[in-house]
Amino acid sequence: MSRARHIASVLAARQARALVRSAFGLAGRARWRAESARAWREAFEELGPAFVKLGQLISVRPDEFSDELVAEMQSMQDAVPALPASAIREVVRAEFGRDADDLWDDFEDEPVASASIAQVHRARLKRAYRPVWGEELPAGAAVAVKVIRPGAADSIRADVAVARRLAQAAVRRGLVRRFDPVALLDEFERSVERELDLRVEGRFADRFAFDFRDDPVVQAPRIVWPLSSQRVLTMEFIEGLRLTEVDRALAEGIDFFGLAVHGAEAFMRQVFVYGRYHADLHPANVFVTPENRIAYLDFGIVGYLTPEERYHITQVMAALVYRDPDRALEHSAALGVHVPPEKVETVRRELGELLDSLARPGEQSGEKSSFAHFGYGFLRMLGRHGIEIPSGYGMLIKSLATVEGCSRMLYPGIDMIGTTQPFTTRVLATALSDPAVLRERMPEAVRAALRVLVS
Amino acid sequence: MTDDVMRFFAAWLLTHETADEGVKAAIRRGQEAGLEGMGGGPDAFVDGLAAMIAEEKEKLKAELIARARGEVGPAEEKPDPVIEEIRFEVSALRGRLESVESKLDAVLARLEGEERS
Repeated sequence: MSRARHIASVLAARQARALVRSAFGLAGRARWRAESARAWREAFEELGPAFVKLGQLISVRPDEFSDELVAEMQSMQDAVPALPASAIREVVRAEFGRDADDLWDDFEDEPVASASIAQVHRARLKRAYRPVWGEELPAGAAVAVKVIRPGAADSIRADVAVARRLAQAAVRRGLVRRFDPVALLDEFERSVERELDLRVEGRFADRFAFDFRDDPVVQAPRIVWPLSSQRVLTMEFIEGLRLTEVDRALAEGIDFFGLAVHGAEAFMRQVFVYGRYHADLHPANVFVTPENRIAYLDFGIVGYLTPEERYHITQVMAALVYRDPDRALEHSAALGVHVPPEKVETVRRELGELLDSLARPGEQSGEKSSFAHFGYGFLRMLGRHGIEIPSGYGMLIKSLATVEGCSRMLYPGIDMIGTTQPFTTRVLATALSDPAVLRERMPEAVRAALRVLVS
Repeated sequence: MTDDVMRFFAAWLLTHETADEGVKAAIRRGQEAGLEGMGGGPDAFVDGLAAMIAEEKEKLKAELIARARGEVGPAEEKPDPVIEEIRFEVSALRGRLESVESKLDAVLARLEGEERS
């Protein structure tokens, strides 16, 4: 059977099962939507790496997809059965011309993690290595060897080509109106191509370590470059507990509240100060180390912002913290969210209502005082009005919501918006005191002062 | 003339006094709102900022007093960020070259293997 037919048959079979589960729609529209979304997620998991990655992209687009589908895609597991070690050793041999045992000591055949694109094996360094940033890794240091699964790149590219043909056919026949599937595939292809080159991930890990050189709480694995290539990445093995294992950390005297706040601020520092951020954060990618540090792993997906975007995003964040719809709209427009003039008033009112729905000081915070509540609500509202969302905006909101989720795993009662207020205020004040911004703003400020004085 | 000078300084003092009262009021509003959200538009940012600046002022005051009493040493010298950035770039370049070198070794080993066979 051709791959295209296989894809179509898996999708059809899963949807048929959803139809049965929802009693052919008789169990109500909501049930059908939920079952159908579940069927899409199960089909994507079955169809392999390209679809798992595509699902991750859909999970950040609540403006284009239904709430049920977005929620299902967010819960999608990127864990697949491990490949035999012989296949992984073959990739190592192809990349370095030598056997794994010649490159590392104690290369373990049993992987420590196995995902759709790569799997990770533990090993030890044969000799000491001075990394790009940070202290030397001694001989015998434990390392994680991440290897792209053989055939993963080819299978993803082939699936993208098939999916593109299907998407183009769907567009031609007018089957898809709510979003542009071809544009979505283009965005997906760019992102996945970067992920298939592990050197990109290694460079970002180095940069991250450098950016946080003054922060003893934040850690990133050190990269061993002589043992790294496009398909193999050797990095320091960080011991610790995943956020999903915080119950165990509780027993070990970890400062949960401190780490939750610090983790959130570290992410905002990436976005607002450096303009490059870890865009694939999830509880399995964040470790709490026995030294009470936060370690970030897996820099496969990274978001970049220009200084101008950074400034406007800081302003949107300040609008959220200070509940200021005008500020949010003005700076979202600068980020490419173009609200047609006839809709400005309605959007402004709805945005004000959304901001007002955030918890007030003294109120029980929880879900209503969250980035996710605001961010996804904002995207959904724009989607309802048919307003296009610029590429990257959804990814950033998902990342903020994920950071919030991670912080809440550490300390469930944390009020993220309130907690991040001092940081946002400081960053915005720094941005506004930039000489270039001052020069631009000063004439207007003087005019405003004069207006007040003479009125 | 004397009257004019007096009037000028009186106006100058009054302006400062009013501005000072305005800042103090903003600080008070910012402090009262606390960290759990300001709940209110563009002015709220200014109030929040004023409260944080006041906090910074208190820290500076305490630091200066401590230094005058000889309780703390001179501030630690921070490394020059430009030099640090250059150091990082050079180091990152070394990393890339090390990776390329490994790749070249692999290609060489393969060619040698092919020649032998």
